[in-house]
Amino acid sequence: MTLTKTGKVFIIMQTSQLVDHFFRTEYGKAVSHLTSKFGASNLELAEDSVQEALIKAMQTWPYSQIPDNPTGWIFRVARNKMIDQLRRNQKTKNQEVPERVEEMNEDLSLESINDDMVRMMFACCHPSLSQEYQIILTLKILGGLSIREISSSLLKKEETVAKAYTRAKKKFKKDEIKLILPPAHEIENRLDMVLKIIYLLFNEGYKSAEGENLIRKELCEDAIRLNRVLLESEICNTPAANALIALMLFHVSRFAARTDNEGNVITLEQQDRSKWNQELIQQGLIYLERASEQGAMNEYLIQAAISATHCRAQTFHDTDWENILTLYDLQLQITPSPIVELNRVVALEKVHGSLLGVKEIERLEATQFFDEYYLFYAIKSEMLQKLGNNEDAKEALEKAIALTKNEKEKSYLSLKLSRIK
Amino acid sequence: MKKYLYVFRGGDEGYADQSPEQMQAHMQRWGEWMAKVKAEGYPLQQEGKVVGPGGKIVTDGPFTEGKEVVGGYVHLDAKDLDHAVELSKDCPIFEFGGTTEVREIITDMGV
Repeated sequence: MTLTKTGKVFIIMQTSQLVDHFFRTEYGKAVSHLTSKFGASNLELAEDSVQEALIKAMQTWPYSQIPDNPTGWIFRVARNKMIDQLRRNQKTKNQEVPERVEEMNEDLSLESINDDMVRMMFACCHPSLSQEYQIILTLKILGGLSIREISSSLLKKEETVAKAYTRAKKKFKKDEIKLILPPAHEIENRLDMVLKIIYLLFNEGYKSAEGENLIRKELCEDAIRLNRVLLESEICNTPAANALIALMLFHVSRFAARTDNEGNVITLEQQDRSKWNQELIQQGLIYLERASEQGAMNEYLIQAAISATHCRAQTFHDTDWENILTLYDLQLQITPSPIVELNRVVALEKVHGSLLGVKEIERLEATQFFDEYYLFYAIKSEMLQKLGNNEDAKEALEKAIALTKNEKEKSYLSLKLSRIK
Repeated sequence: MKKYLYVFRGGDEGYADQSPEQMQAHMQRWGEWMAKVKAEGYPLQQEGKVVGPGGKIVTDGPFTEGKEVVGGYVHLDAKDLDHAVELSKDCPIFEFGGTTEVREIITDMGV
C-alpha cells in the first residue's frame, strides 16, 4: 500500500484510504515484532505500547495526513513507548534497554515481520496451552481483536474470555513460552497444532456466517490471512498448509451464494453458482495443486479436493460424485468419523442409487450416533422418498422436525412433509 | 463568512479500551468530519508547562481533570455562531464524552 502526500483537500481520501482492518492487522504485526525483540515476558508491555501507538495515530492522523509509511510510523511510536517504559522499569530491574529510534528501518522488512508473526503463532499455539486458550491468544494477539470482540465472536462470556486470556498470558510472563521456532524434529507436530487452530477459527466464522455478526465472517478472513503468513515461511510451507488454505478459499468462494436475503441457508444444490467467486476458486486450485504435488496425504487435502470437485461443477447435476465418493473413502481411512460416514453415504447414493443409500443409512442408524441429529433423518427421508417408500419417509421427516430447534429449519422441513403424498 | 476556533477537550479515557478496529473507524469519522467542514488545525501533546509572570513555571502541564485536557484545535469558516455550532454537531469528539468549545476568531480589528 502506498500513500502519497497530498494536500489537505484530500483528507477524506486519506483516512478512508487505509485498507480495511489496517489497525487490527498492524496490531498483530507490531506486537509480534516487539515481543520477538524484547522477549516473551514483555508481551503485555508490547500490547500496551502498540495500543498506545494506535491511539496516537487515531488522535493525530486526521489533522493532517496519514504518514507515507503508516506501518513504520506505528512500529516506531510503539517501540519508543516500549523503550520509555522499560527505562522506567530499569531503575528497579537490571535490564539492558536499547536506544529510542527516530527512523524504523532496521529489521522492518516484510520477511522479518512475517517471521516474527510465525514465531508468535507457534507461541500462541503452544502445546502447554489448552485449545481454548490457543484460540483466544491467537485472536487477541495476531487478530488484533479486543476481549469483547472475541467473546462475541466465540459466543462466550466476556468475563470468561478475559480470565482465560490473563491465565494464558502468565505463561509468557514466566518465560514458559518463548518466541522461537520449534526445533526441526518437532516442527511437524507443532505446525499441525497451528493449522488446527486456524481451521477452528475458520469454522467458528463459517458456521455462523449467516448471522448478522460481521466479526464472525472476519474470523474466516483472519484464518486465511494467518495461513498466508505461514506459507511465506519456508519451513511452514507444507502440503497440509497449502491444502488448508485451498479448502478455506473454496468455502469462502461460496459465501455470497450461501444465504438468501433473509439469512436462510441455501443448500449446495439450490445455490446460484454464478455468485461463486471464481477468483478465490482459482487461487484455491493453485494451492491445491501445490499441496498435491508435494505428495503427502492429509485430511485437509482430501477435504479441499472434495470442495474443489464441487467448485468445478457448472451445475449440481454435473457434480463428479464418483470422484467425491473415492475421496470420502480415502478420508474414512485417514480420519474416520460418523460425520464423514454420513457425507460418504450422500455421495454413495448419488453414484449407486437410493437402494444402496438406504441400506447404508440403516447401518449408520444402528450405531445410534445419529439419534439426535436432525439432518440424518432429513437425508434418510429424502432417500426413502426416491424409493417410493412414502410412509417411512414421512416418519423420518417427522423425526427430523422434532429434533431441530431452528424455527426456520422446522418450517422448511414441515413444508416438505406436507408435500409427501 | 467568519472564522471559528474549535477547542477539543477530553474523550481520552474512552480510548484506552477501544479495539484497533473501533479506533480505525473512529479515526475515519474524524477525517471525514474535518474534510466535510474544511477544518484545519493541530493536535496537541499532553505534556506542557504553565508559565507565570517572570517566566516562572507554575505547573507541569495545564492539567486539571482528564476531561478538561485540550487534545487539539481546528479553525474553519462559518456564517455565524449558530452555524458554527451546527457544524460541530457530528464531530466524533462527542463519541467518548469529549466536548468542543466553539469561539469566533476576531479577524476584523475594527470591530
